[in-house]
Amino acid sequence: MSATDRRTPGEWLQLLVGGAIVSAMFYPAVWMVLSSFKTNREMFKNPFGLPRDWLWSNFSAAWDKGGLGGLYLNSIIVTASAVTLTVCVATAAAFAFSRLAFPGRRWLFRLLLIGLLLPPPVVAIPLFAILRDMGLLNTLWALILSGSAWSLSLTIFIMHGYFNAIRPDMEEAAMLEGASIWQIFRDISVPMVWPSMLTLAIVNTINIWNELMFALLFVVDDEKRTLPVGLIRFFGRYSTDYAMVFAALTISTLPILALYFLLQRHVIAGLSATAMD
Amino acid sequence: MTRFFRLAASCITALMAASAAVADTEIRITHAMSSGAGKEAFDKIVAGFEAANPGVTVKQIVFDDDVYSDTGLITQLQSNEVPDIYFQWAGYPVQRDVEAGYAADLSAAMADSWQAGFIDSAFTAGSGTMVDGKIYMVPISLDITNTIWFNTAIFAENNLTAPTTWEEFIAAIKVLAAAGETPIVTGNNELWPLGNWASHVAARVVSADNFHAAFAQEKSFADAGFLRPLALMQELHEAGAFNKDMQGLGADPAMAAFFQEAAAMHPIGSWLVGSEGDLAVEGFTYSQFDTPVIDPTQAAPKSVIATMTGFVQHAKAAHPAEATSFLKYLTSVEAAVIWAESGAISPVKGVAEKANMSDQMKGVAAMLANADAMVPPPDTTYPVPVAEAYYQAAAYAASGEKSAADALKWLDETVAAMPKP
Amino acid sequence: MNLLFVAPAFVLFGLFVLLPLVSSVFYAFTNWSGFSTPEWVGLANFSRALADPVHLTSYLHVTLYILGTLLLEVSFGLVMAVVLNSNRLGFSLMRGMFFSPMVLSMTAAGVLWAFVLDYRLGLLNSVLRSVGLNDWALPWLSQGSTALIAIMFVSGWRFAGFYMIIFFAALRRIPRSIYEAATLDGAPPLHQFFTITLPLLRQQMLTCVLLAITGGFAGFDLFFTMTNGGPFNATDVPATWIIRTGFDNNELGYATAMTVILAVVVLIISVVYLRLTERGDHVRY
Repeated sequence: MSATDRRTPGEWLQLLVGGAIVSAMFYPAVWMVLSSFKTNREMFKNPFGLPRDWLWSNFSAAWDKGGLGGLYLNSIIVTASAVTLTVCVATAAAFAFSRLAFPGRRWLFRLLLIGLLLPPPVVAIPLFAILRDMGLLNTLWALILSGSAWSLSLTIFIMHGYFNAIRPDMEEAAMLEGASIWQIFRDISVPMVWPSMLTLAIVNTINIWNELMFALLFVVDDEKRTLPVGLIRFFGRYSTDYAMVFAALTISTLPILALYFLLQRHVIAGLSATAMD
Repeated sequence: MTRFFRLAASCITALMAASAAVADTEIRITHAMSSGAGKEAFDKIVAGFEAANPGVTVKQIVFDDDVYSDTGLITQLQSNEVPDIYFQWAGYPVQRDVEAGYAADLSAAMADSWQAGFIDSAFTAGSGTMVDGKIYMVPISLDITNTIWFNTAIFAENNLTAPTTWEEFIAAIKVLAAAGETPIVTGNNELWPLGNWASHVAARVVSADNFHAAFAQEKSFADAGFLRPLALMQELHEAGAFNKDMQGLGADPAMAAFFQEAAAMHPIGSWLVGSEGDLAVEGFTYSQFDTPVIDPTQAAPKSVIATMTGFVQHAKAAHPAEATSFLKYLTSVEAAVIWAESGAISPVKGVAEKANMSDQMKGVAAMLANADAMVPPPDTTYPVPVAEAYYQAAAYAASGEKSAADALKWLDETVAAMPKP
Repeated sequence: MNLLFVAPAFVLFGLFVLLPLVSSVFYAFTNWSGFSTPEWVGLANFSRALADPVHLTSYLHVTLYILGTLLLEVSFGLVMAVVLNSNRLGFSLMRGMFFSPMVLSMTAAGVLWAFVLDYRLGLLNSVLRSVGLNDWALPWLSQGSTALIAIMFVSGWRFAGFYMIIFFAALRRIPRSIYEAATLDGAPPLHQFFTITLPLLRQQMLTCVLLAITGGFAGFDLFFTMTNGGPFNATDVPATWIIRTGFDNNELGYATAMTVILAVVVLIISVVYLRLTERGDHVRY
């Protein structure tokens, strides 16, 4: 069946129903973007239509008053560091769990389940004390390291699945030629799972970029805040300046939405993999 | 392998170096004056201090009120880079900080002429700035934590004037409700805005001893006579006093709603004045009256609810000498006048006469001067969970969620489950 | 040498996942306030937690929330996976759009919807008032009867796409020939859905239910942003109550005891669930 055939009545119905539901679901995002161009007054008079004048000034006001530049930078630092750390460390661990023998292998693998099943709020308070004792409280390191640690389980499990799906022929051949395990990992295994690493990097980027609770509790300096916390504060302070809050929302979500539509295949592949194991 | 580790190690050291702070003599101050006229005034004072003390810079770490008291301060006090000076509410918080070893004893520095510059009531046993006879807090403001602000235009339209008795107050509410106005807007999702007012109402109808006994967990709220204040909250609800979404609304949006003429009255502290410029619609006119007299036979029928706020120097401040000199500068008459003109009542002697204060602030100052007693807010005087429980009971009664009797029952059960101090 | 490959992962995991878990058992028995040094109080925190009505009802709320997610996220996602399963022009875009709320932060979603649902100025009430339905304009997030439901709907809006994608990926692996054969036998589409599609998606459904359960207990962001447990604890789930007790009331010891209870509850539910569903697999084949 190709996409150019005439549609059957059933397919028209499918298109109609699907289209209606999807439009309804997507509408709030459109409404958010449109509203960010309006004045407060227009937003209530004309909540659905296009803005009469496209007011770009809301964006500059939100950017300045909300300090969005700094928030962005912190979010980028935290996300980039935590994601890189997670994916590298998890790939090495998944490689070991899939290919190597070492004492405690089954036991350690099971232990990782804890990080998959338990919700992060469970450790929020003692983690606060540990970070304090390590002198990491109120630094971006607190977010990078805890964010990364809490992403490890999922990443290792999925990566482990990928490794298991690849036959170890090439690695065994290299082993016979006398390559060290480190060489095999670096030159053969990593290149093979490279696309999967990328996929997992994207999945972790979405999760860590959006992380709220740790960021709320472990960092308090204005200058070290990440976007989600900054947004909540902004919302609290300017909650009656609708247009500006919508502009801030748009600025903070549009890039990640754009990234998603750009890399849609990877995101979807990665996120659906989270449920396959 | 080793190459990998060397690379990783150098990356980490590079990142660490990048995040390490550069510091000369930088004093770090953390507070919750995040916007409005107060922020501007404080910035001005800081600039004045920096100009007068070359080589010393002041770094401000600023939070919203709620964040500051929830996680902002505690996180900083425990981090490895403590602030030299931090904002605090007088009373229980200061006492707790002293016990935990965060607060520096400033008695010696105060002993010279510094202390003499303050009004006498700034440093007394009950002022909350001292613990065991030693001074730990430098007060900068006397805050009325609740008074009733009203929109004079809406009052005039309905032929109303500021009520002087509770009966007049309820009658005014009924007139406003019948006219389709929202009589009182309160943003009580954090429970303290209404809770603070309800505490003031309680202090008006419950004896001081009973008030203390209940919050100090020495007596049940029922035995201490708290049915009466909760019944008054219920009475307000039945008169149609409050906005429907009071329990979901934040304190700031509620204040904004008042300044946008969406309600006739707004019970909140004297800091409202500082937000007028940011929030009020054009031509907005307002004034305030203290909670009307409820029971003239009580010991202090015209009390106000107020607290002092100020700064504590951290016991482990990196630059204690500079920090103290900043605090002295902050409470010099010159700086205190700037501070008072932003909408604060300064505890520094002579400021009230010199400062050019708005009519609103003059009204607040007059109210403070005429008060027959000062009631401290429970959440800065007693353990927070007990205060919060009373606040919630008040909200139950005021929102019609529970009757006054049920709210009282709930309150005593909740407090009974808490550990005794 | 082989251990070196897992060492970095377990250093991280140990320090920031396991160590806090273990030390929480210590703090749970103390009266730690965050300011003071913790003092041992025995089982007091636990007996208090088991009598704390807000704590107990927070489990009721999270159960309702999980049931809501099963309906509004998992089931809706499944239906939409079937509806959007087509190679026709536009369907790929529609799947992408349906999924897009998933990449927004919960914070952004929460703030956005708080604006939609605001009593005085929200979009929903503005619309209702503009068509004359003044009595329908309710303080959605300010009354106990609607606040939790409102949060469930927003959660559904955000997560339905996630479950849709999971089911969609599985649907794509079902050979077309099975449906074609059924169509030849005269089975109507709805019948095919129940006799072919659902049984073949069994594994995904089991996974999704587990994700909904663990995800439900992890729920914090949306609750924090939209109501922070209010009004009157009507939307308090374990996570929000723990954080508020710990950091607003400075009762970190007591809050930690509640985290220990939460961890035990989640682990027991997950392990029992995994056991049951594994056994189910054996019975089936």
